[in-house]
Amino acid sequence: MRPFQVYVAKDSEHAVSLLCEHAPRAVILAGGTDLLVDLKHGSKPWDVIVDISRAEDLNAITLTGEGLAIGARVTHTDIMRSPVIRESAPALIDAAHSIGAVQTRNLGTIGGNLMTCVPSMDSGPALLALDAGVTIRGPEGLRRLPLAELFVGPRKTSLAPTEILVDIVIPKHNLGKPLVFLKFGLRKGQALALVNVAAGCRLNGGKVWEPTIALGAVAPTVIRAQAAEAYLAGRAPSEQNLSETGRIAAQEAKPISDFRASADYRRDLIAVLVARALRQACAGTEIEQAEMIA
Amino acid sequence: MTDIAITVNGELRKASVPSETTLLQLLRDNFQLTGAKLGCDVGDCGACTVIVDGAAVNACLMLAVQAEGRDIITIEGLANRQVFHPLQQAFEESGALQCGFCGPGVILSAKALLDENPDPDVYEIRDALAGNLCRCTGYTKMIEAVQNAARILRGEPEISSRMISR
Ligand SMILES: Cc1cc2nc3c(=O)[nH]c(=O)nc-3n(C[C@H](O)[C@H](O)[C@H](O)COP(=O)(O)OP(=O)(O)OC[C@H]3O[C@@H](n4cnc5c(N)ncnc54)[C@H](O)[C@@H]3O)c2cc1C
Ligand code: FES
Ligand code: FES
Repeated sequence: MRPFQVYVAKDSEHAVSLLCEHAPRAVILAGGTDLLVDLKHGSKPWDVIVDISRAEDLNAITLTGEGLAIGARVTHTDIMRSPVIRESAPALIDAAHSIGAVQTRNLGTIGGNLMTCVPSMDSGPALLALDAGVTIRGPEGLRRLPLAELFVGPRKTSLAPTEILVDIVIPKHNLGKPLVFLKFGLRKGQALALVNVAAGCRLNGGKVWEPTIALGAVAPTVIRAQAAEAYLAGRAPSEQNLSETGRIAAQEAKPISDFRASADYRRDLIAVLVARALRQACAGTEIEQAEMIA
Repeated sequence: MTDIAITVNGELRKASVPSETTLLQLLRDNFQLTGAKLGCDVGDCGACTVIVDGAAVNACLMLAVQAEGRDIITIEGLANRQVFHPLQQAFEESGALQCGFCGPGVILSAKALLDENPDPDVYEIRDALAGNLCRCTGYTKMIEAVQNAARILRGEPEISSRMISR
């Protein structure tokens, strides 16, 4: 690696002041599982690394009045072990578990996953399907953004070079919402998604209510399949309707062909995975309702 | 240059290294602990696996400065001249390794697992070893060896009678 200076930030404010002092040649380091690869093989001439892996205010998982706040440097392993997340947003645990392997999950953070912003990121779909927001700290203080507005394109977010991601907040009304994350890769471990999907809904009087469908690895960023969501809302969760929803989602995605899979294959995967995730989510909802009655 | 002090295998070690030094380089080049291997250098193969504060990590993806003040276990910390660690004993007994290049990483991943979960099922063992690529063995005997080591560590009878401590 070419030489650089490392500063250890004690908290997010300290990190921002270090970024301001050294922008634009400074970059944040969290778990390093993406950045170290980039420092070894990428072309960006970073001179200053701001290490947030010890920042005191970025590693909590907390229930607040607003919802569930997950600190940016919470690792994938932390997520898998969090009782609060298991209780309120278990799809995030499946997503975290699907990432790389143990070593990567022990270092890699949820914030780093979102900020690297590759279309196949596994943390993206479930959070997007739950309408998560992100808190950002810059020189002027804190601001809040819908997660969808963080994503700009492959490896590009809307953050300024002097801003950092502080936490990700899942709104209260979506905690406990039935949501299923499915990832299709070429192997179970150490494989990026060919397609990943998070889909969920509630059932009300036998009709689908508030369906949300998010897709990864099939467009320049993680996206919501809005046409498919609109189609399913208010319909019965019949096999035919769920298949049709999957078909519509496959149509509105824009997958590419690459060495891992062709665009056509990815479209087929979307249709199957969306229907499968919705079927599982609906089953979960029915069980919950049955339990409530009993 | 950055001054670094870390605990390696129970011993406080210090070095002054350039900021861009990885934990793997620090262990191998400064401390001559060459058990952790340099394989892919990008987090894929797990040959560089060490245990940092109880968690298995790829030492090629961690800067030495990020390990400052932390507690590191490398393969050199497991055996001494008299006795093998039960994992090493079980790996030897099962013939779980061939060329052995992946071995230190595999054994440390298994140790991190058993330290937390003394009685893992096969699925949990496979999950724990998924980040350790082995080009020789096919993993079957490794999984058996981890199960055997777990039995030894739990104080239960071993499956194979040939297993002897040195
Ligand atoms: C072997 C291997 C397998 C992998 N498998 C998968 C996989 O299956 N699925 C998947 O989605 N990913 C995978 N990844 C990618 C990676 O592990 C994840 O994206 C991880 O979550 C990145 O987090 P990090 O903390 O390591 O980020 P870092 O490498 O520390 O940082 C990544 C980027 O985000 C920026 N950043 C980090 N935190 C912040 C913050 N708080 N504010 C602003 N910017 C920030 C950094 O500046 C950098 O540009 C894999 C990586 C490896 C090495
Ligand atoms: S050398 Fe570190 S994972 Fe391959
Ligand atoms: S024994 Fe040769 S790589 Fe595993």
